Amino acid sequence: MGLLLCLLAAVSLFVGVNRLSPGAVLSDPQALQLLAVSRIPRTAAVLLTGASMAVAGVIMQLLVRNKFVEPGTTGTNEAAMLGLLAVTLLAPSMSLFGKMLAASAAALAGTALFILLARRIPPERPLLIPLSGLVYGGVLTACATFVAIQTDLLQYLGIWMSGEFSGVLAGRYELLWLAGGLAVLSYFAADQFTIAGLGRNVSLNLGLRYGQVLGFGIVTVSLVSALVIVTVGMLPFIGLVVPNLVSRIMGDNLRASLPVVAGTGAGLLLLCDILGRLLRYPYEIPVGTVFGIFGAAVFLYMLLGRRAHG
Amino acid sequence: MAHRKILQLAASIAVALAGAAQAQSIAVDTARGAVELPGIPQKIVVLDAAAADTLEALQVPIAGVPSKLYVSYLQDLQDRAVPVGTLFEPDFEAIAMLAPDLIVAGGRSSVQVEALAGIAPAIDMTIWGEDHIAQSLARLRSYGHLTGQEARAADLEAAFTAKLEHTRAAVGGRGNAMILMTNGPKVSVYGAGSRFGWLHTALDLPEAVESVAAQTHGEAVSFEFIAAANPDWLIVIDRAAAIGQGNQAAAVTLDNALVAGTTAWRRQQVVYLNAANVYIAGGGIQSMTAALEEVLAGFATGG
Repeated sequence: MGLLLCLLAAVSLFVGVNRLSPGAVLSDPQALQLLAVSRIPRTAAVLLTGASMAVAGVIMQLLVRNKFVEPGTTGTNEAAMLGLLAVTLLAPSMSLFGKMLAASAAALAGTALFILLARRIPPERPLLIPLSGLVYGGVLTACATFVAIQTDLLQYLGIWMSGEFSGVLAGRYELLWLAGGLAVLSYFAADQFTIAGLGRNVSLNLGLRYGQVLGFGIVTVSLVSALVIVTVGMLPFIGLVVPNLVSRIMGDNLRASLPVVAGTGAGLLLLCDILGRLLRYPYEIPVGTVFGIFGAAVFLYMLLGRRAHG
Repeated sequence: MAHRKILQLAASIAVALAGAAQAQSIAVDTARGAVELPGIPQKIVVLDAAAADTLEALQVPIAGVPSKLYVSYLQDLQDRAVPVGTLFEPDFEAIAMLAPDLIVAGGRSSVQVEALAGIAPAIDMTIWGEDHIAQSLARLRSYGHLTGQEARAADLEAAFTAKLEHTRAAVGGRGNAMILMTNGPKVSVYGAGSRFGWLHTALDLPEAVESVAAQTHGEAVSFEFIAAANPDWLIVIDRAAAIGQGNQAAAVTLDNALVAGTTAWRRQQVVYLNAANVYIAGGGIQSMTAALEEVLAGFATGG
């Protein structure tokens, strides 16, 4: 899989509007600049986003003990959006880092509230959790839309609603490295997350500091979502499709599967971004659209196809 | 319901006009063909920024306009007239309270024309698609005709045509251009068939990249696209500024290593258009004149 990922990354480096051949990189300083300013940042941004979103998805699924949730269906993304909207209105001149902090804080509050909600739902009705998450996210979206309509920010909101990478250049995506770092950090807590996924009582009996793990999980998911939204926009579905795909094949031992989840997320998103760049060359199709179609097909197949692993 | 209202309205108009001469009715060209109006309207509600722009230029009194027109030169009008909803959603109650003789809709409010006709005669004056300038001037003539201001309309048309010729001469032979709209950190390119395409076609300004598909919202492109096209001139519209959000100015978005390599950026041949004018009130006679002046000024200082 690592080899496949490297291959995709290599393809991504040489796909773009400007002609760039591997040979030219060695001889032509302009080609080198193009690579440094545009191609490497974009490829890195997609890889970091895909990996961290997939990891955030799997953590969310373990924390809520439900396979049908991800930051996009638990109100996390929507809450981050509200935070971003608030900071745009109240302190429009704030730096990107400040905006990110505001979005993260809002995402944190939103996710925590959802987890409180989810706990009240009887565990024998598992489908109620994603459903209430969708409703909850819908309520938050409605709030954001209302504020945006009143303040003429609807189009501005639209920029964040549809995530894509056409604007990524050196100097405009670096916050995503933080998201990547968080994904790596969560790997060290992988065993704890796996145990937490067995439920609160089991975790406590096994001596897990359940509250701490839960808190760390919520912070990770919220920060990753906020970082991705602030830098490239909302990219739903990755956190839902990728963990389910991997869990079908590898089961739920996070220590073993987390790198695969991250790699698959990164690879699939990169594949979709390359397709988005090529399908209407030299114009672009937003990667969110491409992944939406692709992800929907995979997800439907998983739902309708043979049931494995529950 | 609506039908009965129209019938009632028609009946009352008929009664009102019974004494008056039939010859007073006016035929007006609209976006949906010729429409017969019962006479020169005294009280007009305008729901489209381009229409408000042109009617204001004709010095026609306007009773009601949307609560936000976004365009700075229409602020006076905004202060005088009664607010009647938004560009997209007319406030039917407020319009009915005004009891207008004519409702002018268009563009964003064009889908409401049938519903509005229940209140008063409503015309669709949308400017859309091919031959933007011919359409805009046709609307100008219609407005002049229906308000009895034909002479003023003719003056405005002559002044605009002269400015157009002048600008065409000024941009001729100065190289090609690319129309960009920035939206926060992202960029779209607009071709000759787009809503801003008249800047290419009417000014004979060659496109840096030909045959960009005619999309309302342009084509999303990467900065590499701009670098590869290497336009001589950039004409930039900041979408966020059009709705009053100057958060991330277009210049900041474009100021990067890839755009910096283009001829346009190196020679400082970048023309920024007032976004509200061309985006919200596009097709209005004042809006188009102002855009031409911006292009003229840009081409005078650049290069």
